Amino acid sequence: MGHRVPHVTHYLTEHFADPGYTTLSGYRAQGGYETARRVLAEQSPEEVIGTLKNAGLKGRGGAGFDAGLKWSFMPRDQAGPSYLVCNADESEPGSFKDRVLMERGPHQLLEGILIPAFATGAATTFLYIRGEYAEPARILQRAIDEATAGGVLGSNVLGTGFAHQVVLVRGAGAYICGEETGLLESLEGKKGQPRRKPPYPAECGAFGRPTTVNNVETFCHVPHVFARGVDWFRSIGTEESPGTTLFGVSGHVERPGLYELPLGTRLDEIIFEHAGGVPGGRKLKAAIPGGVSMPLLPAGHLDVPMANEFLREHGSSLGTGGVIVMDETTCMVRVGCVISEFFRDESCGQCTQCREGTGWLHKLMLRIERGGGTEADLDVLEDVAGKMEGQTICAFADAAAWPVQALLRHFRSEFLEHVRAEKCPFPESFEL
Amino acid sequence: MLRITVDGTAYEVEEGLTLLQALDDLGVLMKGVDIPHYCWHPKLSIDGSCRMCQVEVEGVPKLQIACDTPVRDGMVVHTGNERVRKAREGVMELMLVNHPLDCPICDQAGECKLQDYAFDYGQMHTRTREPRRALKKRVDLGATIVFDQERCILCRRCVRFCREIPGTSELAITQRGDRSTVETFPGKPLENDYSMNVADICPVGALTTRDFRFKVRVWFLEEVPGICTGCSRGCNVHVGVADDQVRRYTPRRNDEVNDTWLCDYGRMTYQEIGAPDRISEPAVRGDAGQLVGTTLEQAVECAAQLMRTAVEKEGPGVVAALASAHATNEDLAALRGLLAALGSETHGVPIVTGPADALLIRPEKAANAEGARVAGFGEPGLLLDKIRGGGVRVLIVLGHDIIHEQFLGSPEALAALDGVILLDTHRSRLEQVAHVVIPARHLAEKGGTVTNFEGRVQAVPAALEPAFEAVAEAQVLARIASALDLSISDESERKRETD
Ligand SMILES: Cc1cc2nc3c(=O)[nH]c(=O)nc-3n(C[C@H](O)[C@H](O)[C@H](O)COP(=O)(O)O)c2cc1C
Ligand code: SF4
Ligand code: SF4
Ligand code: SF4
Ligand code: FES
Repeated sequence: MGHRVPHVTHYLTEHFADPGYTTLSGYRAQGGYETARRVLAEQSPEEVIGTLKNAGLKGRGGAGFDAGLKWSFMPRDQAGPSYLVCNADESEPGSFKDRVLMERGPHQLLEGILIPAFATGAATTFLYIRGEYAEPARILQRAIDEATAGGVLGSNVLGTGFAHQVVLVRGAGAYICGEETGLLESLEGKKGQPRRKPPYPAECGAFGRPTTVNNVETFCHVPHVFARGVDWFRSIGTEESPGTTLFGVSGHVERPGLYELPLGTRLDEIIFEHAGGVPGGRKLKAAIPGGVSMPLLPAGHLDVPMANEFLREHGSSLGTGGVIVMDETTCMVRVGCVISEFFRDESCGQCTQCREGTGWLHKLMLRIERGGGTEADLDVLEDVAGKMEGQTICAFADAAAWPVQALLRHFRSEFLEHVRAEKCPFPESFEL
Repeated sequence: MLRITVDGTAYEVEEGLTLLQALDDLGVLMKGVDIPHYCWHPKLSIDGSCRMCQVEVEGVPKLQIACDTPVRDGMVVHTGNERVRKAREGVMELMLVNHPLDCPICDQAGECKLQDYAFDYGQMHTRTREPRRALKKRVDLGATIVFDQERCILCRRCVRFCREIPGTSELAITQRGDRSTVETFPGKPLENDYSMNVADICPVGALTTRDFRFKVRVWFLEEVPGICTGCSRGCNVHVGVADDQVRRYTPRRNDEVNDTWLCDYGRMTYQEIGAPDRISEPAVRGDAGQLVGTTLEQAVECAAQLMRTAVEKEGPGVVAALASAHATNEDLAALRGLLAALGSETHGVPIVTGPADALLIRPEKAANAEGARVAGFGEPGLLLDKIRGGGVRVLIVLGHDIIHEQFLGSPEALAALDGVILLDTHRSRLEQVAHVVIPARHLAEKGGTVTNFEGRVQAVPAALEPAFEAVAEAQVLARIASALDLSISDESERKRETD
């Protein structure tokens, strides 16, 4: 196949500077929807699933599950509808990539939905977007309307005879509605509380029908896999984690923002080369690699390639790729207060350990920060976090426990300092 | 059938069940195999939220919740090893973080699962120095139930009950995280025919019935099996007795009859037992036309005399009997025996009817309607006609259902009779026309058998002695028979011996 593909390593965001790209015509001008049309017209669903499996695309919603494999779980022989759900609940502090993907490339997302929709035989995709994302919701709805009017969505998708509709559903402000079964409950009009599993959504998902839930970004990669081929896709990123991802860098860096880089890019490279390093000549203290639920890494451990297979060795995970950078002025107990407050607030409250543990962790953190802690409290923190882990309906309790465990693992001395001094050694930076 | 091994013991279980369900069906759950559980209830959907029921399943890396783990052939389960105990202790400790631990003043103390398991798995005091959640201690969820928010462990049994059993869905968990609490929707109180069951299934002292709250500490309560007399379902109850009084009915599980539920109306019928309007003393109508208190012997003699006179004057056909469907099979058998010995065939059982539902409540508002039919008692229509036509001179009345508007309407219809012999538990206008009044025992005071609408004969023992002197109707009838020199085959006694 003599021809060489250009080595584009920012394929998702390549056209994001172009405001016209959000319109149907602007998107089409860049060749948009051609890939979907070709795939739907020329390939069988089995072939599409096969390609996706070969691509090794990992879910970008946090758990990193193989997307092609997940779509292959959808039963194809059942009567009645099946659904896709696009998870646009993006509520993990430190994460803002899906927002940009929706605001700047709504049609890229829709095209990314159409291909697996065809492959799984889904009649409808529910696009569940967090309630606070009013602007992205408006942009998406406009894109959906335009696509429907333009024959991209509807009863005859791109003239291929495939029928598909995309329904935008706005959430009401709960982090737990990003957990896929909490999302499904909310989608059905119920209180957003994760379901017991099994049954998994592929068996019994939205409205009791086979359903697959994927992250916004996961879908966005799909057209590119088909446009440029599996080999090209696998040439970017790492063996286990191919492709690029959007790293959202926030906190104490010169240039906070979103960086599309290959998976496996080293964390220190992201922070120092791309985001410009820590401002004011201050020293870096720690970084959270992928949204607040991922265990943080101290300064000495930042040479890790940002892909799950490497982060795992450091006791952390890629999560949503939201990198939060903290410099030497940051009080780690305060970090603990802020994070545990978030989880306390957002726990859905079904499981005993999570409901009670999140509150307890937060109270302990606050007391230590305010100078009322004891050494024994540090053990209690660790112990409570241990009791929350791995025993609940969903992974939220783990997400609440891990950051605390990591803080104690790497910054125990700073906690002890608070205890001994009976106050926080840092100047108060904000009200708790 | 599948074979599973739990703590070294092999069991045959049915496919498709969860581990807890299977063990419960075998009758070993908490009776040999201890898997503490809060949110799981055998008659409600699986919740899987309390996380207390964790067990170790060989070959599965994580501990599994037994309430939501399907049985598999060859499954090997450990319910009490160190790992499992530690996990339970962890759950217990977290569960108690915000619990007020006000056991000394809690009504549930003594039948509280939190207290029970805390003894087994808890430090009763957690290491928390943090202030506990302060919430409302007394919320009226409806007319029957009071809610203590602080004690609630959010197991959602009450919520699922309302949604799944009466189907009324009044309760919901509002808020989230550790602010979660049980609430009703504004203007929609907990108000269904089964509302009080939520207090039974609440594993802690968060829900109490307004009726029983603070009445007696449960350890002073003797619980005796009984049958609700509210309708022909014959729901199985525990008769809770303290200080020679019935203090409550609570459901006694019988999957064939009432699962683990009672309707509110039936539950409250216990109040009839200690009611102030019980007939507590035999009486006969004196020369001045007033009822005058007397001894049982004299009342029996007087009744016998009325019957004797009538039979001598006009033949045996003029003695008749009307029995309530509240009477036990034994009482009814004695009544039939007496009539047969006299040579009378005139009798009937009026059965009061009312609203019914698809869950438990039956239209026939007496425990033994079916028993009466089986014993050969028919509708009272013919008998009433005969009374109105003057064909009856002496009437034995067992129970006051007869003056329900459906039947006699008012007691005046009996005024022309030569003798009305009333054996009854409660005072009524029938006393105005009765010549002899003899106190009767409530089912809970005499025991016996009643037959429910499906033909199920249910036997219960006496739960307590009446507060006054009274003998069971069957024995009163036997004494009347013997005063008349009649012998009635006392089926009731024989029946009781064979049970
Ligand atoms: C507490 C919690 C919150 C989550 N929030 C999100 C979210 O906001 N967006 C998202 O895509 N996935 C979220 N997830 C992950 C989803 O459950 C699910 O794994 C994901 O949507 C699958 O998509 P993917 O396979 O494409 O990654 C969350 C998971 C948990 C446990
Ligand atoms: S782990 Fe927490 S968030 Fe998840 S279901 Fe349980 S209580 Fe809800
Ligand atoms: S009130 Fe009782 S039954 Fe209802 S959720 Fe709370 S503890 Fe459970
Ligand atoms: S359904 Fe009938 S028997 Fe059962 S509790 Fe109610 S009244 Fe009593
Ligand atoms: S009884 Fe199993 S989780 Fe509550």
